[in-house]
Amino acid sequence: MSDTRSNDIPAIELRGLCKRYGSGDTAVDALKGVDMRIAPGEVVGLVGPSGSGKSTLLKSLGAVIDPTAGQMFLGGEAIFDGVWKVNDLRTLRRDRIGFVFQAPYLIPFLDVTDNVALLPMLAGKSNREARRRALELLEALDMGHRAKANPSQLSGGEQQRVSIARALANNPPIILADEPTAPLDSERALGVMGILNAMAQQHQTAIIVVTHDEKIIPLFKRIYHIRDGKTYEESVG
Amino acid sequence: MISLAARDIAHSWSKYVFTGVGLGLLIGVTLSMAGIYRGMVDDAQVLLRNSHADVWVVQKDTQGPYAESSSLPDDIYRGVLGMPGVEQAANVTYFTMQVQHQGKDTRVMVVGFEPGQPGAPPSLVAGRHVTRSHYEAVADVKAGFKLGEKIRIRRNDYTIVGLSQRTVSTGGDPMVFIPLADAQAAQFQKDNDAIVSGRERTAANPAFNRPSVPGLLEAVQASQITSHNVNAVLVRVRPGWDAAQVAADIQRWKHLQAYTYANMEEIAVQKLIATSAKQIGLFLVILTLVSTAIVSFIIYTMTLGKIREIAVLKLIGTRNSTIAWMILQESIGLGLVGFIIGKTVATLWAPVFPKYVLLLPLDAVLGLLVIVLVCTLASVMAIRAALKVDPAEAIGG
Amino acid sequence: MKSPLLKKIILPLIVLVILGGFGWVVTQQGPMAPTQVTVAPVTRQAIAASVFGIGTVEARYSYRIGPTTAGRVKQVLVDVGDSVKAGQTLAIMEGVDLDARIQAAGLAAERATASIASATAQTKEAAARLSLAQREAQRQRELAAKALVSQSSSDTRQQDLAVTTAAVEASKAALEVANKEQQRLQAEQQVLRQQQANLVLTAPVAGMITTRDAEAGTTLVAGQPVLTLADPQSYWVKARIDQSQALGLQAGQAASITLRSAPQQALAGKLTRIEPVSDSITEERIVGIAFTPVPAALSSGELAEVTLQTGQKSDALVIPNAALQQHDGQTGVWKLNGDNTLQFTPVQTGIQSLDGQVEILGGLQADENIVVYTSKTLSATSKIKVV
Repeated sequence: MSDTRSNDIPAIELRGLCKRYGSGDTAVDALKGVDMRIAPGEVVGLVGPSGSGKSTLLKSLGAVIDPTAGQMFLGGEAIFDGVWKVNDLRTLRRDRIGFVFQAPYLIPFLDVTDNVALLPMLAGKSNREARRRALELLEALDMGHRAKANPSQLSGGEQQRVSIARALANNPPIILADEPTAPLDSERALGVMGILNAMAQQHQTAIIVVTHDEKIIPLFKRIYHIRDGKTYEESVG
Repeated sequence: MISLAARDIAHSWSKYVFTGVGLGLLIGVTLSMAGIYRGMVDDAQVLLRNSHADVWVVQKDTQGPYAESSSLPDDIYRGVLGMPGVEQAANVTYFTMQVQHQGKDTRVMVVGFEPGQPGAPPSLVAGRHVTRSHYEAVADVKAGFKLGEKIRIRRNDYTIVGLSQRTVSTGGDPMVFIPLADAQAAQFQKDNDAIVSGRERTAANPAFNRPSVPGLLEAVQASQITSHNVNAVLVRVRPGWDAAQVAADIQRWKHLQAYTYANMEEIAVQKLIATSAKQIGLFLVILTLVSTAIVSFIIYTMTLGKIREIAVLKLIGTRNSTIAWMILQESIGLGLVGFIIGKTVATLWAPVFPKYVLLLPLDAVLGLLVIVLVCTLASVMAIRAALKVDPAEAIGG
Repeated sequence: MKSPLLKKIILPLIVLVILGGFGWVVTQQGPMAPTQVTVAPVTRQAIAASVFGIGTVEARYSYRIGPTTAGRVKQVLVDVGDSVKAGQTLAIMEGVDLDARIQAAGLAAERATASIASATAQTKEAAARLSLAQREAQRQRELAAKALVSQSSSDTRQQDLAVTTAAVEASKAALEVANKEQQRLQAEQQVLRQQQANLVLTAPVAGMITTRDAEAGTTLVAGQPVLTLADPQSYWVKARIDQSQALGLQAGQAASITLRSAPQQALAGKLTRIEPVSDSITEERIVGIAFTPVPAALSSGELAEVTLQTGQKSDALVIPNAALQQHDGQTGVWKLNGDNTLQFTPVQTGIQSLDGQVEILGGLQADENIVVYTSKTLSATSKIKVV
C-alpha cells in the first residue's frame, strides 16, 4: 500500500469541516470550517486549549461522529461531503485509520500479540497471519520479548508502544494519536515520538498527534493550532 | 479470529469461578427442587412397584388404600383368588404410626404382608426376610433401625431381621413390614387402658350383660377386640391376561373397587401429590426467574466493567455481532460453570435430604437447556448496553 | 492471577478438579450410579426346618364350679390363688326354702306313718269281722244243711261273709296306699336333702383357684360359676400355627417356649396335640404344647412364642432368603455370571429355617454366585458394583 502513497496526493485533507452540536438557539458550533492537509509520512501536531474543538475534530477524523458540513478526503478519496461517502464507517476505521490514545486502552484479557493481531483478525486475516504481522510490528518496536505478556504486566511506555503497534497493524494511511505522551516522563515521551516519526517514515503514514505537551511540540515540523473551531497552520523550521 | 469470550473468561477466571459457585449453588437448589418433585413422584411409584401387584382390590367406592382408607373383610381374597385370570391374591394392611427409636419419634408406615405374596418387601440390603409368622419385622433403612433392634408397635416388640431400601409410603415415610396377622391385630388394637375401660363400658350395658345368658358378655367383649379386616387385596394376574379386564371382572362380580397399576399410579401421583407438585412447580419458576435475574445482573455488571474495552473494540472496528457474541458466550460460560457446580453439589447433598431426592439425568439435561436459555435472555440487557456504547468514548474529551 | 505460574498450573488444575469431580459425581452418584450388590455363593450345608407360632398359656383341665340350680351364694370359703384339696368345701349356696320343704316333707311322712297305723288297725278289724262272719256263715250252712235254720237265714250269713271279705280287701288296699305314700314322702325328703348337700360346692380335684366370679349374696342361675379351679400341673400352651407353615407337624416334636414375661428364657416343651380342625378364619392350625417340666408360677392367659423343630436335612443346597426376588411374576434369584452380568434364575425352594436360610430344590448349583442384597431393584441390564 505504501507504494501507492505519493506526496502529491495528501493522506488526509479537510476542507471547511464544520460540526454543530444541537440546533436552534442552543446550537454550539464546535468546528467552524476546518481546513487541513497532511501528506503521507508527515507527522503533524494539533494543539489547542480545552474547548477549542480539538476533540470534536479528532472524533470527526476518526469517523465516530458525523460532521455537519465540509469535505473530508482520505488519500484523495472523498469520504465525506456533507454526508459520509463510505458505507461502513466501522471498516473505514478498522482498515484506514489507526488510533493511539492517551491511555493505551489495551484489551486486558488479550496478551500483547493478540492485542495487536486483533485488528488484522477483524479484517479477516487468519490467526497465524495476523499474529505474524503483530510479531513483525512488535519486533520493529522492540517489544518482541514481551509478545506473550499481559498488558497489565507492561510499563506505561511499553503499553504505549504496543498500542502504536496496534494502530499500525492494518497499515492504515493515517494514525490519530490523542495525547500519546501525556502519562509518560520526557525520556519515554521522546522515545514514543521517535517511534511515531520512524513509523511515519517507514510506512508513509500520516500521523496527527493531538498534544499540549511542551516537551514534544518542538519536534513537529508543522503544527495546526485550533482555536474557536478554526485551525491555524504554523510551520516550524 | 480468536474467541474473545474464552480469553476474557480465562483472564478473569477467579471472578467467573466465584460467581459460578454462587450461581452454581442456586442452580443446585433448583435442581434439588426438581429432584424433590421427582422424588415425590418416585416415592408414590416405588410403593406401587414394590407391591409387585397388577390389580389393587379395595373397598367399594374408595380410592384406597393409599389415598383413602379402605377396609375389607380378610376372607375376600379367597373369592378374588377364584376369579379367572388371577394368579395370586394377598391381603395387605397399611397404617401409619409413630414409633419410638432411641428416644425419638419416627413416623413409619406399617405394612402387614404375607411372605412370598404381593406386598412383601422386595429386596433387602441387609439381614434376612421374615421367617416367623409373628413379631419379626423388615424395616426401611431410613427408619434408622439396625438389625436385631426391637421396634415397638402398639403392644408388641418386633425384632428387626432385615433392612430394605427405597420402601416408602407415598408421603416418603419409611415402611416397616410385619406379618399380616400381627398388623391386623395392631391396626385396631387399642392401648390397655382403652381395652379395660371398653370392657367396663360393655359390661355396664344391660343389653350385653344379661344374667340369664351366661357367656354373652365375654363373647361381645371378644368380638370387640379382634379384627378380621385388611386394607386391600393385591392381585397378580396370570401371564397373558389383561389386568384391566381382570380388574373390571372383580369390580363387576365382587362389588369391590379394583384398580390397575395405571389407575393406582394416577391416584398416587396425580391426586396425592398434585398440590405439592404445583407448589414445587411454582417454586421452580421463581427460582428460574431469580437465576435469570442474577445472571442478568452479573453479566450486566461485568459488561459495564468492560465499557472502555468495548468502546476501544468498537473504535478499532469490531463488529457489533462480535461483541454481542462475546457477551452471550460469557453469559453461557458462566451458566455452564454454574451448572457443573450446581449439578455436583445437588448430587452430593441429595442423600442428606430427609426425603428422597431423585435427580434424573433428563432433568439435568433440561436444566442445562433452561440455563442456556436463561443465560441467553440474561445477556440481552448487557448486550443492549454494550451496543449502546459510543466508540467515541474511547477518544478522550 | 498475574503470575504465569498461577495461570499455567492452578487454573488448569482447578478446571481439571471441577470437571473430574463433575464426572465422578455424574457417573458414581445419583441415578446413574451402579447398583451396589452383595454376592454370596450357593452353599451345601445342613438346614433345620422350624415353625413358629404364638399361643397362650392355658390350663389343660379347668373346672368351673357353680351351683346346679339357681340360688344365692351364702359363703365363698377360698380365694384366687388358694391351693385346694380334692373334696374341700369351696363355697356354700343358700338353700332359700329348702329346709322348710324338708321339714314339710318330714311331717307329711309322719302323717303317712299314722295313716299306715290306722289302715293296719282297720285291716285287723276287718279280719276279725271276717273271721266272725266265716264262723257264722259256716254254722248257718251246717244248720241249714240240717235244716235247723231257714235257707234264707243261711244265705244272709253267706252274704255277710262276702261283704266282710270285701271289707278286708279294701282295708288291705288302704294300707298299701298308706305305705306307698310314706315311701314317696321319704323319697322326696331324700331328694331335698340331696339338694341341700349340693349347696355345698366342693373341689372335684386338687388344684388352684384361678378365678372367683361371685361373692356372697350374688344370685346365680344354673351354669354360672362361683369359682374356677385349675390344675397347675396341666398348664400347657395352646398355640396357633399358620397353615402355610404347618407342614411336618407331628406330636412328640420338641418345642421351645418363650414366655412374654421372660423373653430371654427358652423353656422346653413337647408338641402333645395337633387339633384336627383348623381355624378357617385365621387360617391357622391349633396345637397344644406341654411344658417339660411345668415351670412354677405360670400365669394363665400369658402370651407365649413357640418354636417347633419339624425336620432337618444334613446336606442341602442353601441360600439366604434375602436372595429370593420377584421378577416377572416368578420367584428366583439373580445369578452373577462370570463376566459380571446378571441373569434371573427361577428356583424351587424347600424348607426354610428360622434363621433365614432356604433350601433350594432346583434351579441352582452349588458354588454359583447369587446376589443377596441390592440397593435397588435389579434388571438384567443393571450396572452393578459388587461390595
